[in-house]
Amino acid sequence: MKRFLFIACLLSCAPLVAHDFWIEPSTFHPAAGTMVATSLLVGQEFTGDPVPRVSSQIERFVVRDSAGERNVAGFEGRDPAGFVRMENGTGAVVGYRSKPAFLSMPPEKFEQYLRDEGLDGVLATRAQRGESKQPSREIYSRCAKTLLGIADFSHPLGFRLELTPESLAANRVVVRLDYDSHPLANALVIAMHRDDPSLRIRVRSDAHGRAAFSLPKQGVWLIKSVHMIDAPPSSGAEWESLWASLTFEN
Amino acid sequence: MGEPVGLAHVRKLALALLLATMLATIANAHEIGTTQIHALFRRDHTYAVTIKSLRKPRPAKALLYFDGVRAGALTGDIPPHANTFTFRYEGTFSTYSLMLQNEGSDAVATQWLDAETTSKPFALSREVVPPTRFEVIRQYLALGFTHILPEGVDHILFVLGLFLLATSMRALLSQITAFTVAHSISLALTMYGVVSLPSRVVEPAIALSIACVAIENVITPRLHPWRVVVVFVFGLLHGMGFAGVLHELGLPRQQFVPALVSFNVGVEAGQLVVIAVAMLLFAQWLRNRRFVVTCSVAIALTGLFWTVQRIAL
Repeated sequence: MKRFLFIACLLSCAPLVAHDFWIEPSTFHPAAGTMVATSLLVGQEFTGDPVPRVSSQIERFVVRDSAGERNVAGFEGRDPAGFVRMENGTGAVVGYRSKPAFLSMPPEKFEQYLRDEGLDGVLATRAQRGESKQPSREIYSRCAKTLLGIADFSHPLGFRLELTPESLAANRVVVRLDYDSHPLANALVIAMHRDDPSLRIRVRSDAHGRAAFSLPKQGVWLIKSVHMIDAPPSSGAEWESLWASLTFEN
Repeated sequence: MGEPVGLAHVRKLALALLLATMLATIANAHEIGTTQIHALFRRDHTYAVTIKSLRKPRPAKALLYFDGVRAGALTGDIPPHANTFTFRYEGTFSTYSLMLQNEGSDAVATQWLDAETTSKPFALSREVVPPTRFEVIRQYLALGFTHILPEGVDHILFVLGLFLLATSMRALLSQITAFTVAHSISLALTMYGVVSLPSRVVEPAIALSIACVAIENVITPRLHPWRVVVVFVFGLLHGMGFAGVLHELGLPRQQFVPALVSFNVGVEAGQLVVIAVAMLLFAQWLRNRRFVVTCSVAIALTGLFWTVQRIAL
């Protein structure tokens, strides 16, 4: 049993291949009238590198609050990538959608990444096509959101893959995963705590795209999911991945 | 105290411009982060890798390889025979820029890398790769020799001054030995920084030593016992002069001792050749007092002229 636990620990400590992407605001609970810096971060285990604002990579970078939706301002090539003024105290949601970028990986890394993200269907398809030993050709894009304050966040921003909170209680959170505005079932959705990255809660979305989490502690959480589909023929890639993330503080 | 706000803004703006201009070159990567790494290979055969990042740099995650062999630190000596440098930085999750440069070359090779990837090999220029010990010995032997023949006319005249009062082979050898031992000592002590005299003192003193030896040749036909002592003292001055030249040439840090010894041996070889040629050409004239005096006067006048000239300069 001890040996099994040791091996399980080793596996859980193995470095992840794919990199998460999330928005980290300077505060999750800003007062009305304050300016919130929103950093884009890429990394693993909730440890990330800042990603400067690069307009050519941004498809949409918006903030939505009770007054409506507007673009997030920022300085080109700078971190933090955006600044949001809290017009009122009712909260806001900030969303970042990137343009697709191309990425190639050696076969072992790509297969590991598929396993990490629970993309069993893609693994099976690659095996079926005899491509398991071939390097990947993938386009990927990000669909990141963060919640500022307390508001009704149940309306999606319309990202191609999107995590939308339906219920945000202190110890129980329900999110809905939509793909092309339709609930995505049986997708792996992972929640992790910023101060304890080893705490990873893995849930499969139900038929309504819902994933419910019992959060054992309060603090800043990142919920994420990856969806992979066949890439458009014109892209020069075989696969297209969409990375949804949602950060909030409960 | 932080850095001035203006300077910080300039730096951030520079980063922004760099990212914006280089973005077009990247088609296959993760998101571009803020990490920039610069590897410089210097002509003193050392290298330095600097990591700039908004996130705290993680030097322990930087992996450096010369010809595939891991180098331990971000700064150090370039190994002899190294042809290529490769790099990998596992301290970032985003795409970063790696700029590689051989000192003296304007060309900066930029590679965009992810944490998972190792850079393409970067060719080190001949100037930055340290020579082998054999190459160092050969090079510094030649430098020492040519510093006497043909470049060291002042040293040649000093040696000829000793030669002219060589009443016997033993007398010649004792003077040459005193001179050799003295300049070897002062050369080593000066190169190690134990003693130091400015060249504006050493160079006129060397010229004066030439004149002194030649004047003594004119004054007396006998080799007095103090002559060897005087030659030893003058040898100390000449050694400091050699050290000045070596400072200008530079000594390879990794092969300091072989280079120093080789240079000294080269100097010695040059002196012996001067003596040998003088013996072949003028040995039969050494007993001719007029010849000795005439030659010594010429040497003395030259030495005095150089003394004045070097003081004036």
